[in-house]
Order: sequence, then structure tokens, then C-alpha cells
Amino acid sequence: MQPILARGSRTLFYVAACVAVGALLSAALAGRGGLGALRTGVVVVPLAVLYGFVCLSSWYVCTATPLKTTAASVAFGNIGGSTVVAAALWLALGRAFGWAGARVPGLAGADRLFTQEPALLFSAGALMYLFSLAAHYVLMGVDEARAAEQRALESQLAAREAELKTLRAQIEPHFLFNSLNSISALTTTDPVGARRMCSLLGDFLRATLRLGARERIPLAEELAMVQQFFDIERVRFGARLCYEQTAEPGLDRLLVPPLLLQPLAENAVNHGIAQMLDGGTVRLDASRAGDGLRIVVENPFDGDSPRSARRGVGLENVRRRLATEFGGRATLDVNDTDGRFRVTITLPSAT
Amino acid sequence: MSLRTIIVDDEQLARTVVRECLAAHPDVEVVAECANGFEAVKAVAELKPDLVFLDIQMPKLSGFEVLELVGGEVNVIFVTAYDEYALRAFEVHAVDYLLKPFSEERLAEALARARERLAARTPIPVGALVAAARPEGRPLHRVVVRDGSRVHVVPVDRLDYVEAQDDYVCLHTEGKRLLKEQTMAEAEAALDPARFVRIHRSYILNIDRLVRVEPFGKDSRVAILRDGTRLPVSKTGYARLNELL
Repeated sequence: MQPILARGSRTLFYVAACVAVGALLSAALAGRGGLGALRTGVVVVPLAVLYGFVCLSSWYVCTATPLKTTAASVAFGNIGGSTVVAAALWLALGRAFGWAGARVPGLAGADRLFTQEPALLFSAGALMYLFSLAAHYVLMGVDEARAAEQRALESQLAAREAELKTLRAQIEPHFLFNSLNSISALTTTDPVGARRMCSLLGDFLRATLRLGARERIPLAEELAMVQQFFDIERVRFGARLCYEQTAEPGLDRLLVPPLLLQPLAENAVNHGIAQMLDGGTVRLDASRAGDGLRIVVENPFDGDSPRSARRGVGLENVRRRLATEFGGRATLDVNDTDGRFRVTITLPSAT
Repeated sequence: MSLRTIIVDDEQLARTVVRECLAAHPDVEVVAECANGFEAVKAVAELKPDLVFLDIQMPKLSGFEVLELVGGEVNVIFVTAYDEYALRAFEVHAVDYLLKPFSEERLAEALARARERLAARTPIPVGALVAAARPEGRPLHRVVVRDGSRVHVVPVDRLDYVEAQDDYVCLHTEGKRLLKEQTMAEAEAALDPARFVRIHRSYILNIDRLVRVEPFGKDSRVAILRDGTRLPVSKTGYARLNELL
């Protein structure tokens, strides 16, 4: 798209510049052929505007001669050649206007405006063309820079989307295999329990699919999902696993990213309870923190295990997900000082 | 021929599945169920079963560590929800590798393999078991040692030094000595080379314990440990030590 015609404001400014150049020229040429500045202007200003439109064709030269990639000799040839052509056209147009002007009553002598000092007039035409050419280059550069910025923004946005997609918590597959194995055991020893387990698992999976696809979900639904997860894991671990969940009243409708807590729940089971001979209690607490939300998940851990065994990749994913979704407004802290592994999340709240 | 088996899994329901499926095989007798690795090692030592169904992810002692401790005496079928250990399982000569949840047919297949192996009296290669507890490419974070039916778990940072002793290595940890059936080369390979250094043909030292090295006699040296223990340092050992420090 022609950069000057692309926007009304630019076109208007360009025409105004042409008029101004025409006025200047009129002042310079006044006196020739016995015409005053005003009468000269009647001929020269329309000529300047017309020539301005002729100069818009320098856009083709600009696109054919990108300065970054064209050899200097070629660029010089292209620009020089087109300038000469444009300036010659300027002279010819000037004479035509002068000749036509002289036919109009009161403008007699206009034909002499463009017959003297052709070299000077030619240079003026060349200069005007070169100005127009330079303006085109500058505007094209500006447009390109803007487009590049836009593209960068778009790709940044796409990258963030992609990152969120990969960070979006997914149900750990071994959880499914182990649950199926539990069902397999229950089918003969406790058919009613097996059926209950199937429906628990079905409800949980349905919830993760339904809610996992949303941007934000109410805290109440997130907590209900964590509860369902522990109900299922309790079938597997029996008395070794206890789960306590507390939430300050009035938080239910605060919005959180879906399945944000799932990796923490899985970690608490796999890296905490499952590593202890006698198991223990996982606690989750949700409370208000300033005008945001604080969620604490804590579990006991085997003190003999190496530190690295206490945290899974899940934790790092939650941290990155918080950073991507909330920037610096969310935090994740890990603390394992008093025999309990504690993850504290704070995030800005919205309803 | 009757097949005496032990089922090891920290989940009650998982043990139930195996036991139920085994009920269909009259020649198989379940002599014990164990909820963790310690019980498993004890049961294997005391009951001398033919076959163990062994879970991998268990508290305190993993299935691979149990195998390292008792694998020379018994055939093992791993039962786990994780398929990523399959390769390692066969490297340590497990009879089979069952993925939870498994079918009765699949379990029958595994049993058939076990019977074959027992009938052929294939000796179990102990050497291959030693590296069993070590995850691929990663140094150990704890050493397991069996003492009859008891199991000692020694985190490597509590290990002072390892001493060669005939067919065994002697682990020195906080004043205690534990014998482990292993060669020095195997012990050296299993320990983190950034923290443990072979200072002598017969000694691997935890460098955290080292206070200083003194000359001793003609072109030989001695390492002084924090508790005052003196260990000989060979010429190549000294070079290795310098390289690390």
C-alpha cells in the first residue's frame, strides 16, 4: 500500500506540503512575465500539487530499491534515473501550465514563467522529487518497524499461549493406572466399593476435562476437585492417607486458574505420603491475604530421603504457570523446616 | 513342583490383586505378604521363597534396592504402574515385568517364565544386581546393606569411607562398620565421583571427612580424617585427590 495514500492524515499533510512548496516557488518566480506573486501562484500552486501526485510514483522506485539489500551503484542508478525523468516531466508540465495559463485572461505572460533558466527549474523539480522519495523511504521504514513490532507482540502472545498450554496441569497418568489397579482388586473383594471408585474416578476425570479447558474457575470448584482426587487416593492408600481441607468463608467465588493445585496434591501424595511407612495427613488451607488469596498445601515427608526426592517437576511447573499468568503478582514459597513440606501460593484475586 | 512366593507392595489392594490371581494356580503358595522393603528382605531371608512379586515405588526401600539385597537368592517379578523401569528391570535379570493393572493371562505368562527359570536352575548373576538400585546415570544417594534379615540404609553423606575386605567392601559410617557384598570397582562406580575418591587400592574416601594429607615414609602419604582415622594414600590416589580439590 502506498504509504502516503494509506492514511488520510498523511495524504492531507502531503498535499499541504505541495501547496506550501508551490507558494514558495510562486514567490521566487514572481515578476517573470510581468505577473505578481498572487497571479503566479494561480498557475504554480496547482502545478506543484499535480507534480506532488506525480512524485507519489517514487514509491515504486522505493519498493524496487530497498536500501538495505540493494547495491549502492544500482540504488544510485535507480534513484538518479527516476529523478531525471521526474524533473524533465516537471519542466514539461510547467511549460504546459504556462502555455495554458497565458490563454486565461489576466494571466497573460504566464508562458514565460518556465522558459527562463531551465537548469534552475530542472534542479527545483529534481529536489522536490528527491524530497518526496526521501519521505517515502522514511514512511516505509516507520510502517515496517510498526509491523515488526506488531509481529513480535503477536508471536510473544502466541508463545505465552503455548507455554500456558504446556504448563496447564495434566493428570499424572500413573494416578490412573494405580486407580485402575485398585478397581481391579475391588471387583471381587468389594464390588460396591469398586463401583463407587469407578464413579469417583469418572466424576474427577470429567471435572478435570470440563474445568481444565477454562481460563479461570471459582475456587470452590478447584477445591472440590482436589477433594475428589484425595477421595480416590484414599481408596488406594487406605489408612495411610488422611486429607484435611479448610477454607476461610467467602472465598468460594474467587477465580483461580483451573487445576493449579493438582500438581501440589499429586506431589504431596507421591513425594510425601507414599514415601512414608505409616503415611500421614495432607492439609490444604485457603485464606485471604491482603486483597489476594493464599493457599497452603502441606504434607509430612520422610526425613531420610534426599531433598531432591521431596519435590517433583510439578512444583516448578506451578511456579512457571503462576509467573506466566500473573507476572510478579503471584508467589510460590517452599518450606520444609519442621518436618512438614509446605508450599504456599499467593495470587491476586478476582471474582 | 510347588512355587513358594512372597507378595511385596505398599498398597493393600495391589497385594490383593496378585494374591487373587495366584489363587487360580494350585501349585503356587503365597507364604507372605509384605507392605514394605524391610519386611520383604526379612521374609526372603527367613522363608527362602522361590519367587517374589515386587512393587518398585515403595517407601524407604525401593523395589530395586530390595532386589539388590536379596536378588541373588530369589527370582523376582516386578509389578508396577511405571513402564519406564522395564529396561532396568531386565538388566538386573528380573523374570518379568507386570504393568498395573495386569490381566490374569499376563500373570500366568510371568509365572510360566518363572517356572522355566526355576526348572533350568539358571544361576542368578549377582554382579548385575549390584547396580540395580542406582538410577541410570545418576550417583547413589543412599547405600543399602543387609545384615542377615536386617537392612541398613546409609545416606551417602553419612558414609566416611569404604574399605576393601576380601570379597566384600566394608562401609564405615559414624563409627559403625557394615559389610556389603560388592567389589571396590562397583562401589566406586556407584558413588558420586565429585564427593568420593579412590585414594588407594583398598580405600574410597568421602572428601568431606578429609582434614589433611601428610607425607608418610618414603614417597607415600597418609590421609587424616576428621575423627583422627589415618588412611594410606597411593601415588595415583594422591593425584586423583589433587585433581578433585
